[in-house]
Amino acid sequence: MLKSILMNVTVFPMMMFEIFIGIFFSPMIFLVIKIITYWENDKIVRLMIWLYGRGWLIIVSPFVKFKREGFKRNPIKKPSIIVVNHLSFFDTYFMSLLPISNVVFTIRSWPFKMFWYKPFMQLAKYIDVEKIGWDKTFEYGKELLSKGSSLLFFPEGHRSRNGKLQRFHSGAFKLSVATGFEVVPLCIKGTDQLLPPGKLFLYPAKVYLKRLPSVSPNTFKGETAHIEMRKSIKEMMEKTFSK
Amino acid sequence: MTEKEIVAIINKVLCDEFELDLDKMKPEALIYEDLGLDSLDRVDMVIVLEGVFNFKIREEESIRKIRTLGEIHKFVISKITMILC
Repeated sequence: MLKSILMNVTVFPMMMFEIFIGIFFSPMIFLVIKIITYWENDKIVRLMIWLYGRGWLIIVSPFVKFKREGFKRNPIKKPSIIVVNHLSFFDTYFMSLLPISNVVFTIRSWPFKMFWYKPFMQLAKYIDVEKIGWDKTFEYGKELLSKGSSLLFFPEGHRSRNGKLQRFHSGAFKLSVATGFEVVPLCIKGTDQLLPPGKLFLYPAKVYLKRLPSVSPNTFKGETAHIEMRKSIKEMMEKTFSK
Repeated sequence: MTEKEIVAIINKVLCDEFELDLDKMKPEALIYEDLGLDSLDRVDMVIVLEGVFNFKIREEESIRKIRTLGEIHKFVISKITMILC
């Protein structure tokens, strides 16, 4: 309990400090990266968000143990459609455990309501699926994938309240079948211990992120290919969680 | 095939394909709000029903106006009845 209290009195102020420092220095960091890399603006902002996430991992590291698995043998080298289960508000922060920074998040509208993150999310071209709908999401998604970015989806749409996988929506899999880009399934465990849904108090936790083998859409045929792909990937993830 | 059997097939197929809870499959259930389906699922639902009942309904205007599970039942029953007549 003492560790939890210590965690809460240190992590939240440190997070606010990181946000403040991040916002203050972001124009300068942006310019430095631009001069060095000549990357497009949105790709630079995605790198900055990934670096911010790495900083956040350092802040929580005295209280949270991380384990990553499956990335050394299978690094995400080409643009892919990443799907990950959803347990906590902090799942997105833990995506900085990914070995790549060029990832566009496709999310619902509510994270865009955090005014301190919103400009960065917009500059990074994060997709508000709830606002723009699936047709435009596919249009932007195809464009971003063809430019070399990966897309990240939470196929459950909402955080799980009981830790179990919920129903998967088809969007990510339909995009994969339509574009030919592979799906990379990720399983995340432990973030619901860190911040249980509906709570504001942090608890020490062990977070485990596992990359499963990529799944090619070419394996699935016919009009219901995306449905079969969705079911197959969910089964893979369920097997991983049951181990 | 009786109407009851058609309803049972529709409910089972939708539960299997969209991981829905059979207890929620009530005729008054709203497709989006109560069953939690989205616009993509709606398109998939048409494809799945076409596959199961071996008819084509995707071009029909009335399928776009459907809001409840009961309306899906009625639509499929009337379509099958029309084909059989």
